[in-house]
Amino acid sequence: MTQLLPDRDTVEPGTELAVDIVGLTKAFGGLRAVDDVTIRVPRGRIHGILGPNGAGKTTVLNMVSGFIQADAGRIEVFGADVTRMQPFRIARQGVGRTYQNIRLFPGLTVLETVVAGAYMQRSSTIAGAILFSPGERRERREMRERATELLDKVGVRAGSSALAETLSYGDQRRVEIARALATNPRVLLLDEPTAGMNDAESEEVGRLLLDLRDLGLTLILIEHNMRLVEEFCESVSVMNSGALLAEGAPTWCLEQDDVKEAYFGKRSDAARIATLRRARRGESGT
Amino acid sequence: MSTTAWLTTLQFAGVNALFALAIYASLWTGVLSLAPIFFGAVSAFTFGYLAGVTGLSPVLCLIIGVALGAGLGAVTAGLLVRLESHYLAMATIAMVLIGRVVILNLPEYTGGATGTLVPGDLGTWAWLIGTLVVAGYVMSRLAGSRFGLAADAVREDPAVAQTLAISPRRIQFVGFMLSGALGGAAGVFQASFLQYIGPDTFYTHLGFVSLAAVVLGGAFYWLGPIVGAVVFTILPELLREPMGEYDRVVTGVLLVLIIIYMPRGLVDVRRLRLLKARWWRSRASSPSDDGPEPTDVAGPARAEAAS
Repeated sequence: MTQLLPDRDTVEPGTELAVDIVGLTKAFGGLRAVDDVTIRVPRGRIHGILGPNGAGKTTVLNMVSGFIQADAGRIEVFGADVTRMQPFRIARQGVGRTYQNIRLFPGLTVLETVVAGAYMQRSSTIAGAILFSPGERRERREMRERATELLDKVGVRAGSSALAETLSYGDQRRVEIARALATNPRVLLLDEPTAGMNDAESEEVGRLLLDLRDLGLTLILIEHNMRLVEEFCESVSVMNSGALLAEGAPTWCLEQDDVKEAYFGKRSDAARIATLRRARRGESGT
Repeated sequence: MSTTAWLTTLQFAGVNALFALAIYASLWTGVLSLAPIFFGAVSAFTFGYLAGVTGLSPVLCLIIGVALGAGLGAVTAGLLVRLESHYLAMATIAMVLIGRVVILNLPEYTGGATGTLVPGDLGTWAWLIGTLVVAGYVMSRLAGSRFGLAADAVREDPAVAQTLAISPRRIQFVGFMLSGALGGAAGVFQASFLQYIGPDTFYTHLGFVSLAAVVLGGAFYWLGPIVGAVVFTILPELLREPMGEYDRVVTGVLLVLIIIYMPRGLVDVRRLRLLKARWWRSRASSPSDDGPEPTDVAGPARAEAAS
């Protein structure tokens, strides 16, 4: 399967896996965007996925949330096979996510955006809404209160009646996180949550990640901010050209020569990386 | 224009508003559909048949028309919602075309090419306004509801909506039923006002006029289609006298201007919200203002009071 690395056993046997990605493969035409990737994330962990642009990180997240169908491999969320599930069913399994290029709903206020995320937390019906039922009105009130709490928790400073799309870049990212949290997820996938934020803001997001982890969430994030990764991620998977390059503790991974080379692009020597990968594969086979 | 002509025009504006609301109901869930015209045709001819042949009361026929429309909406959604957007829109246009053929080929029920007479009992202001008020109330209640926000999400970004555990097909199914019910009601009223319906009463022209009313009035808020229908039924009549035969040119230019400068229509909540935000910001930054940040205090409170 994937390469065995010295620091491989980051998952102790017996721990409950929140997300279990095994041998995931996806090709777009001739390009192997994701090639036999295995990532196992135990419950309650903050796991980072690193790698240069085009490494296939977002494709992995898109397969976990069901936007893209995997060619081969298997994705399990808390033991449930979600590999061929429709995205909304995966979301009902407790997978929430945010996006690399922010995807808020145009025209909705901050509050409405977050309440829209609470769809499955609500039980009111159309008849209830039309008939002005007390239950439906109570639910609306509760949803607004909960959304306000979530916005407070993620640190959105702008007023909740503002249009979400008019907020600052950092606030938009935070609203996206609040919207994902409103679905009451068990696993949160964050695609570059600190892109476009300054150091202080990134630090806040990092602390938010810890808070969420302490509440029992499992977090998988794609992140380019190495300081943040080293400080807040407990384990990372490094990808390059679709394949897994290294996996383990962030500091250890970032010290690996081929990771440095692939990630920071000191010398783009694709052939060497390919040889390495082949060598590793041979190693794991024995 | 004479008073009678005015009244007639306004009545058709009201019926068009119902059709426009029916189109809006599915557009709300991200589906462009002209099927309400077909639903309207079915309910109108059913009304004509039931009232004429079996002597059923028109009020009962209205209820049947609404139920029939909703049922047809459900069937249509079941069959068509799997199609991609453009193909789905084309399929609903095809329904309107097929509807005309069916009407022509069922002369024992529809009167065929000659059409059929229907009682005009419901063709009164009270019924029309009453129905519009009920429809507007239903749409306004749904706007902030669980369904309403899910519909907004599905319209703006179905993929993201799915990651919020919303099933777009389910929401679109409900949208189609709502659309069917409104279309059914509109059909019965159209028939009641005309008192004669034929194969061309519910055809593409009505569909495009209603669709134009939605797009120009505002396709993002329930009030838009109503305003759009009223404005764009009355406007050509208003222009006819001063402009003569050029009224259509003026209407056309006006429509193009609205599309260019108000792409989200006359009723645009988003623009209002943007203007409000700008106003608060300019107040917050003006030196005469002594409060530190009135935006955050008054903004949400006001929105809550309004919702």
